Amino acid sequence: MLLYTVKRLIQGIVTVWFIATATFFAMHGVPGDPLMNDKAVKPEIRANLEARYGLDKPIHMQYWIYLKNMASGDFGISFTQQNREVNDIIREHFKVSATLGILAIVFAALGGILWGALTALYRNRAPDIVIMFLVILGISVPGFVFAALGQLSVVEINDWLGFTLFPVAGWGTVQHMIVPSMVLGLGTMAFLTRLMRSSMLEIANSDFIRTARSKGLPVTRILRKHQLRNAILPVITVLGPSIAAITTGGFVVELVFAIPGLGRYFVQAVQQSDYTVIMGTTVFYGAFLVFMVIVVDVIYGFVDPRVRLE
Amino acid sequence: MAEGTLSWERVQVEREVETVSRPSLSYWQDAWIRLKANRRALISLYLVIALVAFTLLGPFVWTVDPAAQDLDQISVPPGADRTATVVGDYSPWRGVTATATADDGGELAAPVSVSVVDQPTTNSVRLRWDPVPGAGGYRVYRNRYDPEPDGALGLPIAEILNPVNVSFEDRLDLKAETYFYSVVALDGRGRESPNYTTATAGVTRVITAAEAVEKGLIDNESDVQLGDTVEMAFHPLGTDYLGRDMLARLMHGARVSLFIGIVAPFFFVIIGILYGSAAGFMGGRADQVLMRFADFVVALPFLLFMILLRILFNVESGDSGIGPMLVAMVLLSWPAAARLVRGQILQIREEGYIGASRLLGAKTNYLILRHMIPNTMGVILVTLTFAVPSAIFTEAFLSFIGMGVAPPTPSWGSMCNEGLKTMLTTPHELIAPAAFISITVLAFNLLGDGLRDALDARMRATE
Amino acid sequence: MSPLLQVNDLRVEFDTYGGTVQAVRGVSFSLDKGKTLAIVGESGCGKSVTVQSIMGLIPMPPGRITSGTAMLDGVDVIAEKKIDGKDIRGRLVGMIFQDPMTSLNPTMTIGDQIAETLQVHQGMSHRAAFSRAIELIDMTRIPEAAKRARQYPFEFSGGMLQRSMIAMSLACEPLILVADEPTTALDVTIQAQILDLMGDLQRERGMAIILITHDLGVVARMADEVLVMYAGEVVEKGGVDDVFYRSAHPYTLGLKAAMPSNRDDSVQELTPIDGSPPDLFAPPAGCGYFARCPYAMQACEHNHPESFDLHADHFARCWLHHEDCDVDAADVFRKISESP
Repeated sequence: MLLYTVKRLIQGIVTVWFIATATFFAMHGVPGDPLMNDKAVKPEIRANLEARYGLDKPIHMQYWIYLKNMASGDFGISFTQQNREVNDIIREHFKVSATLGILAIVFAALGGILWGALTALYRNRAPDIVIMFLVILGISVPGFVFAALGQLSVVEINDWLGFTLFPVAGWGTVQHMIVPSMVLGLGTMAFLTRLMRSSMLEIANSDFIRTARSKGLPVTRILRKHQLRNAILPVITVLGPSIAAITTGGFVVELVFAIPGLGRYFVQAVQQSDYTVIMGTTVFYGAFLVFMVIVVDVIYGFVDPRVRLE
Repeated sequence: MAEGTLSWERVQVEREVETVSRPSLSYWQDAWIRLKANRRALISLYLVIALVAFTLLGPFVWTVDPAAQDLDQISVPPGADRTATVVGDYSPWRGVTATATADDGGELAAPVSVSVVDQPTTNSVRLRWDPVPGAGGYRVYRNRYDPEPDGALGLPIAEILNPVNVSFEDRLDLKAETYFYSVVALDGRGRESPNYTTATAGVTRVITAAEAVEKGLIDNESDVQLGDTVEMAFHPLGTDYLGRDMLARLMHGARVSLFIGIVAPFFFVIIGILYGSAAGFMGGRADQVLMRFADFVVALPFLLFMILLRILFNVESGDSGIGPMLVAMVLLSWPAAARLVRGQILQIREEGYIGASRLLGAKTNYLILRHMIPNTMGVILVTLTFAVPSAIFTEAFLSFIGMGVAPPTPSWGSMCNEGLKTMLTTPHELIAPAAFISITVLAFNLLGDGLRDALDARMRATE
Repeated sequence: MSPLLQVNDLRVEFDTYGGTVQAVRGVSFSLDKGKTLAIVGESGCGKSVTVQSIMGLIPMPPGRITSGTAMLDGVDVIAEKKIDGKDIRGRLVGMIFQDPMTSLNPTMTIGDQIAETLQVHQGMSHRAAFSRAIELIDMTRIPEAAKRARQYPFEFSGGMLQRSMIAMSLACEPLILVADEPTTALDVTIQAQILDLMGDLQRERGMAIILITHDLGVVARMADEVLVMYAGEVVEKGGVDDVFYRSAHPYTLGLKAAMPSNRDDSVQELTPIDGSPPDLFAPPAGCGYFARCPYAMQACEHNHPESFDLHADHFARCWLHHEDCDVDAADVFRKISESP
């Protein structure tokens, strides 16, 4: 297991290096290299950039400086705001995005497993039909519509209650977090519910469940020890990609609910063409996602002995 | 049983050694029969066809220009009243003046009453109020909602600095709805009194005969008389915040959304097939290297490449970038399809019938053409169908954050983005494009499910 | 002495898209303590469905038991609602299946899977049950049982898994072991080991075995009694020698002719049975084997054959045995059985 984790970590580092390199050469490969093109860049910012990125040096030296900076955890400085460090931006805003994302993924995973198991147990009966109808809707509705609907319902709930239970926007208290993270998790939850349901049904037809029944085990024990445990495995394998989906979805939710997260910052940087911030944030996000996928894989290893022991 | 009826005569039963109980069907015939039996998938298929027809033929049937602004009907929801009363030309109003009684020196009061003079129309709303003793002027507010109970007066629409003028004519962007006008008194230094009086004006839509002719609602001015009603232009799905016809915009937006939604998957699935089958055929070391590269590509940040491609394509921020969006999707989305095809190829390579065919002397080309391609087609088609919804989502997401299609070009995603801003007041501007996205995605998802069930028994969902 | 298990007129149907399949059509048999009953027949003849419906393992719906009783230990196990812990499954009847690779839970250790039966039925603590599980694994001649008990199914070979399945099914010392094609998925050499193991354990413990197979070699080696099934019915039943050497149904003859023989003086070709079994959506009124039978008579087409007792405990459903039938059945069967 340790060996497996180490192997995955090394793979992860190579992947991050690949992302960083691709990012670097993509930025410099584009005609009219946005970093070299000095129009619209204030001279004092330009001086900073030159110092930090070694823009006056040949490209291979620049690449080397860039990699060294990234490796030492320095993601660069802003292209449009003087003395604004990407690290500061990340330090300030990533906490918020991470909290939102973790809440959303927990909500999505627990909901998906619960609803998926429930629909499989009530297959073709009322609860199954109702939940699966909602799931199909959940898969087909874009995330920003959920965000909008979430905000609308917050307004309605507050109106109905006569006081502000959930703030419409902003961040800080638990009440701020509930609705955005639910809204963010909904699409993934629908997807996971579907996956869990078909996985439960597949396991229900498997030979080893028949064996368990032939042993005369109580139904609840079969469900708990045999069916659920094996049905959850495919759900765990897609959690990695789901984290990526939730991260991107987070951009939208942060915009709609005016949450001061890194995602909103990133979109702003995109809209303002703040190339260095985009570059730094992208590599940071890439590294984060690669790391999360490794974490999920290692967790998977603990649940599935076939991976753990090989 | 009456045994007397039993006959012990030997019979020779006609036996067909190889009984084929059903006519033999080709793979595709069989799949089509199974698809037809799946009602949900069939409805989705018709829906997809209808959407394509909506996109391609719609603009010929509904010829309204999607960019034309109908300034009389802005943010009008579908089904709203669209009659206008014909009136004569506008004649200016001189206003009302009055002098207040002597000032008692206390806090400024609210006007005793505010009233609407004449019929309030989309041409003008005329207000007059009782002078307030000691006032140095007045400020008029307009709101679409009742200011009570929060005291939200709305938009300050006029400031009258002469206390004798106790009237105001509002001609600013009036719509056929109810407005709440509040008047507050200002003291000599322009400070506002906390007291206000509100009047309600139910505005009716009016139009002059000349305007009606100009807008093509009637042929001749003589066709109508004062007081008649004419129908304003028809917008089946209402209009957006600039008065543009929603239906026409949805049709034109569908072009972008469906174009990206279908063309991008088509290309990246083709790249995926080529790459995946190359990896699958070569096997060994080459396969490992190719697939590891695919893993890296999956990890690449999509948004960054979008931005770079926009620079490459010379798209300024705020402009539409359909090209970069397409290229970014194709360049970064193929690995999933490649992995799937490779898996299929590896699996099929091990199948007995490939070995059998090879033993019979089949050449590689024949194997690929006769066995590999037909047996991977199903998976590929299913992948393609499932790739469409995600591409449509991606387009919507990019347009939503302003990286995709930008105004004025309509796309469902950018329409949602615009609709979101007015979600609380005119929800139809968000609901219509969001519903189109959802229905399209739903149709492709259900069609994909149906195709998967029909094409590949091994992939059959346990439903 | 009353039999251990007495099954009477069992009928099972399945609702499918194409209609209702009558998978089992009135099967009766009995099983004595310590004996081995083999159920043979080609795929889809209802062998597995018969025992699975007795064990309550067929999914309902789409399955449905329309009639029949199965008396085990004085209780009708078909009518009896299953009460947790009192369940006959695992306690009185153990079961092993065709494919040991997929029949064990991949995420649970072998030891835990064996121990779980003991915990449920005998209320043992996990610790006690686990050490008993190690003994059971040892009993099935798996080396290093204590270490093996802590391993997962994917770390075992097919033969080892089938041994573990046997250990699991015997954990509560059942009266009957149901083996549903236990050797079909295994290598030939492993097959023999598994059969030997089953035989030895049966002698040690005096349990009865119901062996489902289409391998007549396995039948000859293991069985005391044989039940030949065709199209959801028992077409012949008798002692193993009766069925093999005094076969009384053309289908049994067909099965034998289709079986490879390893007698070195045999140069006989294998003869397949032409055609395919009847459609069980609408079973024929007459003999199910009519369409494939080389001795078919007019009477067979529309009249369902009665069961004719030939010797003690040997009967066959075939009109050839009717006293009025002018074909000398004994002659037909003797001639076929004794040729080469």
